[in-house]
Amino acid sequence: MAALLKVDSLGISFGGLKAVDKFNVEIEKNELYGLIGPNGAGKTTVFNLLTGVYKPTNGQITLDGDNITGLDCEAINKKGIARTFQNIRLFSQLSVLDNVKVGLHNNHAYSTLDGIFRTPKFRKVEKQMDERALELLKVFELEGYCDYKASNLPYGQQRKLEIARALATEPKLLLLDEPAAGMNPNETEELMNTIRLVRDKFDMTILLIEHDMKLVSGICDRLTVLNFGQVLKQGLTQDVLHDPEVIKAYLGD
Amino acid sequence: MDKVNVEKQKIFRSNLITFGMVIAAYIVVEVMMKTGNITSLLKGLLVPLCIYSILAVSLNLVVGISGELSLGHAGFMCIGAFTSATWSMLMKSSSMPEGIRFFFAILIGAVSAAFFGFLIGIPVLRLKGDYLAIVTLAFGEIIKNLVNALYFGVDAKGPHFSLEDSMHLNMDGGTIIIKGAQGITGAPKNSNFTIGVILLLIALFIVLNLINSRTGRAIMAIRDNRIAAESVGLNITKYKLLAFTISAAIAGVGGVLYAHNLSSLQALPKNFGYNQSIMILVFVVMGGIGNIRGSVIAAVVLTLLPELLRGLSDYRMLIYAVVLIFMMLFTSAPAFMQYRERIMTALHGKNKGGKEMD
Amino acid sequence: MMSFISYLLNGLSLGSVYAIIALGYTMVYGIAKMLNFAHGDILMVGGYTAFIALNSMGLPIPVAVLVSMAVCTLLGITIEKVAYKPLRQANSLSVLITAIGVSYLLQNLAQLIFSANPKSFSSFVPLKPVKLAGGQLTISGETIVTIVTCIIIVTGLVTFINKTKAGQAMLAVSEDKGAATLMGVDVNGTISMTFAIGSALAAIGGILLCSAYPTLTPTTGAMPGIKAFVAAVLGGIGSIPGAFIGGIILGVLENLAKAYISSKLSDAIVFSVLIIVLLVKPTGILGKKIMEKV
Repeated sequence: MAALLKVDSLGISFGGLKAVDKFNVEIEKNELYGLIGPNGAGKTTVFNLLTGVYKPTNGQITLDGDNITGLDCEAINKKGIARTFQNIRLFSQLSVLDNVKVGLHNNHAYSTLDGIFRTPKFRKVEKQMDERALELLKVFELEGYCDYKASNLPYGQQRKLEIARALATEPKLLLLDEPAAGMNPNETEELMNTIRLVRDKFDMTILLIEHDMKLVSGICDRLTVLNFGQVLKQGLTQDVLHDPEVIKAYLGD
Repeated sequence: MDKVNVEKQKIFRSNLITFGMVIAAYIVVEVMMKTGNITSLLKGLLVPLCIYSILAVSLNLVVGISGELSLGHAGFMCIGAFTSATWSMLMKSSSMPEGIRFFFAILIGAVSAAFFGFLIGIPVLRLKGDYLAIVTLAFGEIIKNLVNALYFGVDAKGPHFSLEDSMHLNMDGGTIIIKGAQGITGAPKNSNFTIGVILLLIALFIVLNLINSRTGRAIMAIRDNRIAAESVGLNITKYKLLAFTISAAIAGVGGVLYAHNLSSLQALPKNFGYNQSIMILVFVVMGGIGNIRGSVIAAVVLTLLPELLRGLSDYRMLIYAVVLIFMMLFTSAPAFMQYRERIMTALHGKNKGGKEMD
Repeated sequence: MMSFISYLLNGLSLGSVYAIIALGYTMVYGIAKMLNFAHGDILMVGGYTAFIALNSMGLPIPVAVLVSMAVCTLLGITIEKVAYKPLRQANSLSVLITAIGVSYLLQNLAQLIFSANPKSFSSFVPLKPVKLAGGQLTISGETIVTIVTCIIIVTGLVTFINKTKAGQAMLAVSEDKGAATLMGVDVNGTISMTFAIGSALAAIGGILLCSAYPTLTPTTGAMPGIKAFVAAVLGGIGSIPGAFIGGIILGVLENLAKAYISSKLSDAIVFSVLIIVLLVKPTGILGKKIMEKV
């Protein structure tokens, strides 16, 4: 079986500086894959390349057999990659429910005129959207907060809402950028369970960036270590984490 | 699901209040008119009140919902005014019934303003923040300037345009409709309070339903976080342009009302210049950014205010300016807001605080 | 050819006035991140003050200029303290509306005091016109003084910002208020100083403008204010050389368009150029590109 995501020698330079260079990865369907590395190694840049925020200088990205290199964010999401952000980016003035409904936008459609004239189609699709959004919120135990303004949610819940919103777009691949950042050990534990649940319940393939080694070693099947924009090590989680080179990169000499 | 329905009912009730408020105001004014309890000053203000309310609703769609600062809305009003008045002038002597003619005038005003909104929106919406503001201001001034220089007439051979003077139209008889800086004289006075209120209700219906639909959610999502909106597959340009175009169309309708409320129509700085755009922006900000009902209330109050102060003659605009500054300080300055909160807490006991969580 | 040079010189002169006003705009924007819509009206106040100082009080020209600058400086600082400072943390639209309120206030105060009837402003430039090329080309004293003043001001400002501690403080505050405070920069003082300099420049701009176009009304400052704002944006708002370049381009363009294309459409042409420039360079000619971090 071919890999769901195949990245081949991906690179980008900013004014001569190679932020990411010769990045390769293959992620199998239903896999939980970790991308780790010291600060400034270029992990988020890889995410930005995969989701079209930056256009790669070279290399190729293939998702489920489709070449998606160089497409913009919107098109890449429609092809099946959804993400969360390191610095949470919610639709802060919208309700929790509406945040998820924006995620449902492309797969539950009616026209602007249907919306203005409140046609039966509008009512039907809106009802479907409400139901689906509540289902998703329930997975993250957020359904009780559905009428809260997103910016009024506590931090941990905001991170969860971002994942729910990403899942609403029905992606093939979910990218999580430091999902445990700013969480205490209990919250992280809970988050690990949620991520596993998402993988199993939605049959999802997940690529995540994380600094919390407990989370990484707890849930990731395989890892890639990035250092100075290049792949340092790749392989099964336990092998990689015990590799002397990796330890050196994290701890210094 | 219960919470979702409660929320839906809340929105429904709020929209009902908005419509009810406009209808109630209409009934009160109609009763006053029937019983002769209305000053001629107020009577003359009835249509302008509708015009400014419509424009404020229109601009709030761009500023509040779409989150872009536009300082050129008077330009769209200008286009709506001149295209519709031209149509009415052309059809004045035809056998078309007045009602149908005015209906088409409204349609033409809205469509032409929407068309320009779309054309201008394509380049403009690529810019951000203050740059977008200055470019919309520039477009508004260009429109006013061009209309001021435009001569347009029709004779047996068809339409003639010129940006020079009436001689350059090379007319063979026929009639000159737009005479440069003198504008259009003699457009039929079809606007009245009833039509104004109906158009305001339609504008409210469109904007409020739009906001509470899939499209409106997309527009507000883009406003709140453009990058996140892209990441969930929203077409940024499409929705920004959509909001801008609909807003321009509604502003155009305001222009139609304006053009058919006067016997002579000129593109002056005070009616279609940036000052007018800014005044509409003042309504939107005073009414609460993104608050559609607030826009209508602010437009009415702030249009009436200088007129009610007419007794103070020379001082009225001065008072208006002071009110503006104090309102802004009072509603937006952190120091004032804390002070206000203390008073509110003292008055109401403990602050309920809505849905904040700690 | 001679007429072209004469149009060009008039354009340079008008452009210099725009540039002087635009400098104030751009400095205030750079440091307070606000569009000070009342800036054009400060220019008008400068004009009236100079008018009174010279005509009613009979002060000598240099003293009248200084009085006008002093009044505007005080006015600028006061406006900032009373109306803008309390809103520093508020959203930018509230500040914009407040600035518009201040603009209305100044215009209407001027109308109350001086009435809406135009005052005929007598020129502050006692120089005789210079005749060149055997009398074919006449350069007015105002033109020469305006251009020279503008060059002196721009060089002076650039030196001030790059060479003095106060200038460096201004740069620091415009870059990052929080960090500047931590580094011991007096942020409030620096902002006041910026408004003071901007307003003093507006006074000079007002005097030069009225010397060249000698009618003074309460709305004299409005359109030049907007044009200067356009000039500042054209050059890249926040940039001092940008404001200078933007002002000159705008003035020259406006005069040449008036002379060679259409006097009625000159404003439309000027604004079109702004739009085209911004579409090619979305942050203006010398503006910095800002990338949002994801």
